[in-house]
Parts: sequence; structure tokens; C-alpha cells
Amino acid sequence: MRSHQGKCGYLRLDGYPFNGLEQVSDSGIDKAFLKDQFPELIDLSDSHHAPRSQQGDLLTLIELPQFQAPQHAGLTGMDPRVKNQLEALQLHPDRHLHFGRDPELPNKDTLEFKKLESFSLSLNASVWDPPSLNTLWFELVNGAYGDVYRAKALMNLPDGRSMFFNWIVSQESSQFLPLEEISAPNGRPASLSELVVQGKHLDGLRIQSTIDLCLLNDAVLEMHQMPLRDRQKEALPST
Amino acid sequence: MNHAIISCLHANLPAAEAVLNDIDRQGIDTITCLGDLVGYGPQPNEVVELIRKRDIPTCQGCWDEDIIDGLNACECSYPSQLAERRGHLAHQWTDDQLTDENKSFLASLPTSLRRDRLLFVHGSPNSQHEYLLPDMDAFAALERVETAGADILFCGHTHQPYVRELRDGSIRVRLQNADHDCDQGEELTLPMRKIVNAGSVGEPRHGSTNATYVIHNDATDEVEIKEVPYDVGRTCQAIVEAGLPKVFAWRLSHGFEFAEQAEDASHVCER
Repeated sequence: MRSHQGKCGYLRLDGYPFNGLEQVSDSGIDKAFLKDQFPELIDLSDSHHAPRSQQGDLLTLIELPQFQAPQHAGLTGMDPRVKNQLEALQLHPDRHLHFGRDPELPNKDTLEFKKLESFSLSLNASVWDPPSLNTLWFELVNGAYGDVYRAKALMNLPDGRSMFFNWIVSQESSQFLPLEEISAPNGRPASLSELVVQGKHLDGLRIQSTIDLCLLNDAVLEMHQMPLRDRQKEALPST
Repeated sequence: MNHAIISCLHANLPAAEAVLNDIDRQGIDTITCLGDLVGYGPQPNEVVELIRKRDIPTCQGCWDEDIIDGLNACECSYPSQLAERRGHLAHQWTDDQLTDENKSFLASLPTSLRRDRLLFVHGSPNSQHEYLLPDMDAFAALERVETAGADILFCGHTHQPYVRELRDGSIRVRLQNADHDCDQGEELTLPMRKIVNAGSVGEPRHGSTNATYVIHNDATDEVEIKEVPYDVGRTCQAIVEAGLPKVFAWRLSHGFEFAEQAEDASHVCER
């Protein structure tokens, strides 16, 4: 996307149930992160932005959650229901990649998602004590609350920054990426904040109770933010 | 003669029993304990009673002090809000469990013990809450040992066992008199001093679940750091059965301390 000269789009499809298993609803983390990195990103799930065939330079990333690898490689392996969805949006994919099968994607990221549990938590307007966030994430991805295979989050820090956290069990370490957009250190941010965890034997109640111990209350948040605002005032040129 | 120094038992009875058995097997009958008998772990009364029964000279640790005086450790003791809240929870639980008799015992403990040129403290000679980390500034470390009038300072609190030799030390003292232009100075050349940290019996922080303690030979001044495996699973089960946070058991079973230490070793708690 970074090297593409034309417009970029993003579309997240919901996926389909499999053997009685339901897909987890989309947390919006990927879209929020991509939108931060590419402010001009076109959200194709918004009907106002539905693509038109003449937009030949539009590079669209389409994500589709699946429980298992397709039986056939290439476009023939695509679920006909997905094809229909895309055709309705006038999208005609030229490639169909799958983790673990196609060399363009990390091979190790193949997981048997049909056996996984999922836990998600909205953290909108929540702000973390940064060292506590470090500890929680360390414990989470190292198995203190169950076997975590995949974890992803957008977290707010008291200085107005938001961080994208990304963990895959097969990778050596977590990915921590700051978002470009920084909120003013003035109370609670309005940006999306969410945690999604997939794994086995997940103890959602204990994850939640640990998170409760990590989040800042209004008074402590103000204690963090007041000096930042003062410094910003001092940095303003006098008129 | 060999003597053993143990520290930071943290209410972990299986670890305390394993270490004392290891010391007994070596025929060592002089043991000094550097405190923190309680805190985080599930068997505070049992550990205090074991130390009392064995009549082991013990100095008061920061946890022992806080259980008696009320939780008044300054915020320097905790590196994060999460660690602080977990610490408070463990403090409340321990306070509820400990018998009055055992609390009285903890209250009676001295903050330091001295045997000739050997000084025994929990954190530092300044405070039970001060960390003497292995990479602490050499001048500050030397100052702690020298002002306490010791050749060897035995401490705990960091949960990381180490031996640090402070060689070729000197302290320059300069007095500036406001009424006169001249400065008066004196340089003191010091013999080698040593800081010996006994690590932790009940809450190791050295990359393994093994309990640690040290043996010192007071004739040769040789120090040996000892590691003792113990039944961690037994302690973890007791943590869960006691109703303490399960994450304490997980952290202990992976060789992680219950709460991370404060990182600023130069900070001296002034409360």
C-alpha cells in the first residue's frame, strides 16, 4: 500500500459460520490502524464509497476471516459466496492469498482457528498506566490468562498517543506501533480502543479484572496530563 | 566457620523448608535472616512460626514493617499502578491472616543485625525499602557500606543474589566554610568492602524458580550463592486455595517476581 501510487481501499468481509462455529464480529482495529497510517484510505464497507469499475488504480486490501485453509490454491479456491459478495461491490480480485499456503504471507501464521476461543473487550475512553500495560501484555501473551495464539489491540496512553499491539504465537515478539494521530492531552480520547484475543482456555474474567487494575481514573489521568499541557503552553511562541 | 544468610521468604513455606533442609544437610547451624518473612505468598503464619521455632536471628523487612505499621510504603516501592494495587491486595490479605502473636514477633524485629565487621540488613542501612541493585553507582554503594561501619554488608530486597566487591575505594570529604575562602579537605582511602545479596527464598528474581541463599565463611570471606529447587507447584496450589490472585501462582511458577521492583536504585525513600 505504501508503494502504490493510486488510491487505496480496505474492505473487511464478515466470513461465514463453519460447523456451527460463528465468526467473531470485527473489532475495527485493523481499519482504524490502516486509516491512521493512510488517512486517504477508502473504506469500502461504506456504501457511499462503493467502488466503480472505472477506478482502475484503486488498490484494495480485502480481509476475510476463515476457519480453515481453502481446498484449492488461487482464485478457484475462493468461496463462491465471497465471490458473489465481491462482484456485488464490483470488485474482481486478481489474487487470493492464504496464510500458510502462499509464500507472500508468513508461513508460520497458520493456526487452526476452528479450535480457538475468542475474547474481545471494548476499551473506548480508557487510558492505561503505561508500565501496567507492559505488564498486562507480557502476562497475556505469555499465557497467564490461558494459551493466547493471537492478540491485537489499540490502546490509549495518557500523553495522547495510541499504540497498536499485535501478537502472533509463532512470532518472536510483539509488534508495538504508535499511531500517527495524537490526541490532545486533555481528558479521555475519542479514538477507537479495543482488545481482541484468540486462544484456548482463556479466562476473560481475570483478563478483565487485571485490566481494571491498569486503567487510570480521572484524577490520576489529570495528574499525568496537566504537566504535558503546561509544557505545550510554554512551547507556544509568544505574540 | 560457615554461616548461612537467607532473605525474602515471602510466606512461601515449601521454599523455606527446602532451603533450611539444604543448610542443615551441610551442618551449618548459624543462620541469619534478612526479613520479608511475609507478603504475596500463601503461608505467612507458617513461615513466621518456622523462623520463630528455629530461633533464627532476623531483621525486619519492608513487608514485615508495613504489616505492623500499616501500608505506608512510598510510591517508589511500586513501578506501576498494577503492581501497587496487587501489592495492596496482598498486604490486606496477609494482614487478615496473620495472628496477633506473629504480628508482635514481626514488630519486635530489629532493622539491622551486626556481628563484628558484618552488617545484616533487609534493603540498605538507610531503609528497608531501598534497593541496593548490583549495578548501583559504585560511590553510592561504597557510601552505604562505609557509613554503616561494616566490611561486609549482607542485604536482600532485590531478590537477585550477587556479590559485589568494592576495591580501591576512596572518599574525599571537603568542608567549605562560608566565612573563609579556604576549603578543608581530606581523602580517605578505604580497604575493600563487599556487598552480598542473598537473593530470595520465596520469590526468586534471577531467571529460575529455584530458591536462593548464600553461605559466607567468616575466616576466608568466601561467599557461595546457593540455589535450591523446591516444590513450586505446592506453593502455587496453596496460592490458589488461599484465594490470592491466580496470577501470583503463574508468575511464581515461571520465575517471575510477584511485583516488579522499582528501578531507581539511587532513590532513598524519605517517608
